[in-house]
Amino acid sequence: MKNETFGRIDHVFAGLIRNRVLVIVAILAMTIVMGVLASRIEVKSVFSDLLPTNHPYVQVNQRFKSTFGGSNMVSIMLEAEKGDIFNVPFLRKVQDVTKGLQLVEGVDTYQIISLASKKLKEVRASTEGVESRPLMWPELPRNDAELAALRESVLNNPLVYGPYVSMDLKATLVTVDFNDGAIDYTKAFNQIMKLVEEAKGEGVQVRVVGEPVLYGWVNFYLHETLMIFVAAVVALVLLLCLITRTAHGTLLPLLAGLISAIWALGAAEIMGFHLDPLVVVVAFLITAQAISNSVQLISRFDDEIERGATSAEAAARASARNLFKPSLLAIVADAGCVLIVALTPIPMLQKISYIGTVWVLTIFVTALTLTPVMLSYCSTRRRVLHPINISPILNAVLNLCSKVVTTRARYAVLGGSLIVFVVSGLYAFNLKVGDANPGSPILWPDSSYNRDASDINRQFQGSDRMFVVVAGDQPGVLREPEVLAHMTRFQKYMEAQPEVGGSISIADILPQVKRVLREGNPMYQEVGQSADENGELTYMFVSGSDPGDMDRYADMEARNGSVTLFFRDHQGETIRTAVARVREYVEQNPVKDAQYLLAGGLVGVLAAVNEVILSGQIEAIALALLVLVVCCTVTYRSTVAGVFFMIPVLLSNTITFSYMAWQGIGMNINTLPVVALGIGLGVDYSFYIVDGIREELHHSHNIERAIVSAILGPGKGVLITAATLITSVVLWSFSSLRLQADMGVLIGLWLFISAFSALFIMPAIVYVFRPEFIVGSKRRPIEQAEATALA
Amino acid sequence: MLRVLRKFGGNARALATVFTSSVPLLIIGGLLYAGLFVKAEARIQKVDPPAIERRDNFFGLTLVDEKVVWAVGSTGKIVRSEDGGTSWVRQDSGINVNLMSIAAWDSQSAVAVGNGGAIRYTHDGGRSWVAANVPASDHPSKFLRVRIADDNAWVVGEFNAMLRSADRGKTWQRVLDAEDRGLNDIAFVGKNGWAVGEFGSVLLTSDGGATWNSVETANKVSLMSVAFRDASHGVSVGLTGTLLTTRDGGQHWNVVAGLTREHFFQVIWDEDRWLAIGDKGVVATADADAGKWTVGRVMPGDVAWRTQVVKAGERYVLAGMNLAAIEEGRFAAGATSSEGARK
Repeated sequence: MKNETFGRIDHVFAGLIRNRVLVIVAILAMTIVMGVLASRIEVKSVFSDLLPTNHPYVQVNQRFKSTFGGSNMVSIMLEAEKGDIFNVPFLRKVQDVTKGLQLVEGVDTYQIISLASKKLKEVRASTEGVESRPLMWPELPRNDAELAALRESVLNNPLVYGPYVSMDLKATLVTVDFNDGAIDYTKAFNQIMKLVEEAKGEGVQVRVVGEPVLYGWVNFYLHETLMIFVAAVVALVLLLCLITRTAHGTLLPLLAGLISAIWALGAAEIMGFHLDPLVVVVAFLITAQAISNSVQLISRFDDEIERGATSAEAAARASARNLFKPSLLAIVADAGCVLIVALTPIPMLQKISYIGTVWVLTIFVTALTLTPVMLSYCSTRRRVLHPINISPILNAVLNLCSKVVTTRARYAVLGGSLIVFVVSGLYAFNLKVGDANPGSPILWPDSSYNRDASDINRQFQGSDRMFVVVAGDQPGVLREPEVLAHMTRFQKYMEAQPEVGGSISIADILPQVKRVLREGNPMYQEVGQSADENGELTYMFVSGSDPGDMDRYADMEARNGSVTLFFRDHQGETIRTAVARVREYVEQNPVKDAQYLLAGGLVGVLAAVNEVILSGQIEAIALALLVLVVCCTVTYRSTVAGVFFMIPVLLSNTITFSYMAWQGIGMNINTLPVVALGIGLGVDYSFYIVDGIREELHHSHNIERAIVSAILGPGKGVLITAATLITSVVLWSFSSLRLQADMGVLIGLWLFISAFSALFIMPAIVYVFRPEFIVGSKRRPIEQAEATALA
Repeated sequence: MLRVLRKFGGNARALATVFTSSVPLLIIGGLLYAGLFVKAEARIQKVDPPAIERRDNFFGLTLVDEKVVWAVGSTGKIVRSEDGGTSWVRQDSGINVNLMSIAAWDSQSAVAVGNGGAIRYTHDGGRSWVAANVPASDHPSKFLRVRIADDNAWVVGEFNAMLRSADRGKTWQRVLDAEDRGLNDIAFVGKNGWAVGEFGSVLLTSDGGATWNSVETANKVSLMSVAFRDASHGVSVGLTGTLLTTRDGGQHWNVVAGLTREHFFQVIWDEDRWLAIGDKGVVATADADAGKWTVGRVMPGDVAWRTQVVKAGERYVLAGMNLAAIEEGRFAAGATSSEGARK
């Protein structure tokens, strides 16, 4: 950097420090305003925020979810510990749960389905023809004969026996759907859990799964999340205090992090966003950046004092001036990388991206401006807060770093890094898009939710649903025998996939009606031979029942119908295979006058999310790297610089991805924010080291000495930041939410690799390859600093 | 490292300069390209459907010998077993309609019939199934049963359909005129033959099927199956537990009432006893004189409907809601057992 630029920055900071009261008051005032706004921010999960609105699957889901069942389905399983479900006390519990659900907030009362609801019916022949009547509504069976009759009707009804009553007759299912806009996850969760608690006991097990319940659990742990957050902050303070042993070294980084957070949350409120408890860890990512900047400044300030700066003000100015460039580069590059995430067309990610960008940019004020201004108040006499001195340990680590760089060990480090990079780069291809395990990856495998999920999937065809819409070109298409037969073959084809537990459509119902019509002869369990016959069969099924009962399968004019597929899990692989098979089948077997539309229900929208992530992940990583490269290229006026700083980023990416692949953490809607926002994380460590080397080279031409002094100077700040942040982030691994634990470990890993690269690998690369933008060349020699530049 | 290059003089240095300044540009270009145009492709696992799929119902079975069994069912499914029903291999019928019945001359030649007037035959053990030449009909023509008697194949079905083929299934001729009554089964012993169907219809022939005469019985319920152990002793079963016996070659039928309300779908002469199967796992057995019948379940707790049974060596193979093979020892016929006690 030119000496004059240096002078100008120095001038600005001198001005800021001169008017430091004004600066502090201004920042304080702003913080109060933002604090008021931030306190109003809502903490909640909104499922629709997770959906890529423009994706065709999501549009199909939005259009048909009210009739064919959306992604907010909750399944409650009642299981008898002894005997089967056909006894009055058990069935009364089913009835109680069914009735109780009608009072739960946000429930779509037309979509409560159980043995005790009006929706499960049997079709039977009577003297007047065919009638369809509810199995167990409104009255429970009164005696053994009626129980036996109910059992017989269940066994003979493939729409009930299998989908709603388990094959071993020990369990039955109650399913309920929620109106999308109206649902308050916490309220619904509490009300459902109350019903579940009431139904439990007396030999009955109750299990419950579904997205609203899952997010209810997440909110349930909100308190714990806050506790861990506080614990992490406390740990951070204690560690900073332990390591720096000074009041300013402890409080100023914290102040920077806190004010940044307040401003960012206030800005989020202004932008009308809410905070999702699942992404609280993301806050730590950005706070890490703020603290890192602040710690660097303080560490430099302490150095300046030690080197005999005349006043705190001079030392503060010198540290601000010298660290301005790498800090600004770090902020701009990180903000750019975070903003790239907004390209992913998922509202939640876009919101996180906007909040994150603002958050990162606030660091410019909170750390870069406020820290030096506050430092100017500090005394030049070093007062230690406690007698424990761990700087020998820090120095030992830093000395090890310089030893490695200045001896042949540097080649071992470089070779080792290259091998790790290649191996982890190849292994990272095992990273799965979508959920990598059955159950929900948000919670631990032994959480009660995931155990409930595996119990339900053991007894039933699968609790996760996807509907495929058969959309006719004109009304009546769904009565054509050809179309119905096509649907049956399609279902059969889809069911060959082991994870698909079953499927249901109007093509399953009409054969039941026809069989009843033909005296119960199963040889006539088939769809009608003509559109007219199928119209009659539909009429017979619907007659005597509520209007709308058929809507689950097809609309009134028989134009749009659904094929609902039941999945035993929603792993990324399962969903991709299913979607590809739907496409393959429809492509090879076109049907006249109708199209198959993908896809609704939870599995349908997850398919959309996964597709977006899959197509977007390469784009996001590549563009984020591009932002980084461009920032560095412009700053150092060298394309080599751009590529140089890619090294630590690529390394932390490949290793983190490998870790995710190894631990079975999938790249999904919940992990993506951390992964995407993390791309620019920690690269600032390398900026400080490299800038330190360049700065030393302004004073002497000895590269080795420059590297060593950079490691001992900015390197110390890197070490302090990394050590404190990694320790506090690891506290998240005690979370009851597996997602937060995983993300804590990921961030810790990320910071560790960044620190390791900055301290070991990057200096070694500088030493071995001597990039021109750092060490200069004959044509672009390093400008020697004027003696006065260092006040 | 650059110092090493310097030893080689100006050219090498120029080369190195070109290299160090072009590689970054290439990398940036690569990133830009990747960011804008590269889309990840998902790898999809292949799924091979099993021979017997969950959704399959089987309506008909035929036994060639102890080992070779054919079964047909919904959506054109044909499967063949060469180990007495333990494992099954899918065959391509070439059609999608439900197949109702199958009959075989030997392990190479067989004929399968079903909905929409479908008749398919094979002469190569089922590697290829060929559409037969069937006379056109204006009426719905669902064929319900095919049987082989003295090298002739006989098919019965809806609208009084009765067809005969003398050339191992290639061409078929109608035997009876269309009438609004379905025929469900046909059986022969020598020149004597019987056909049964809707509304309790029973038809007789004594000239190998050239002429058929109706017999009046007291029963008006649809009959699903008929079997004779010799020219005079026979049993016919039908819906809602209907069971008729005859001792005079079908001239007179005796109604056995009150056995069960479940449908019977098939009756066979099982070496030394009569065996009838039907809806919800129902089984009825009687000794040779068909006087005393015992009703039970195929297996305790089993409620699947069964439309056909054959005996392959020591075991029974059943078609219906699913395909089942049952060792004789476990065949619970005659045992009165409570439903659902599957433990």
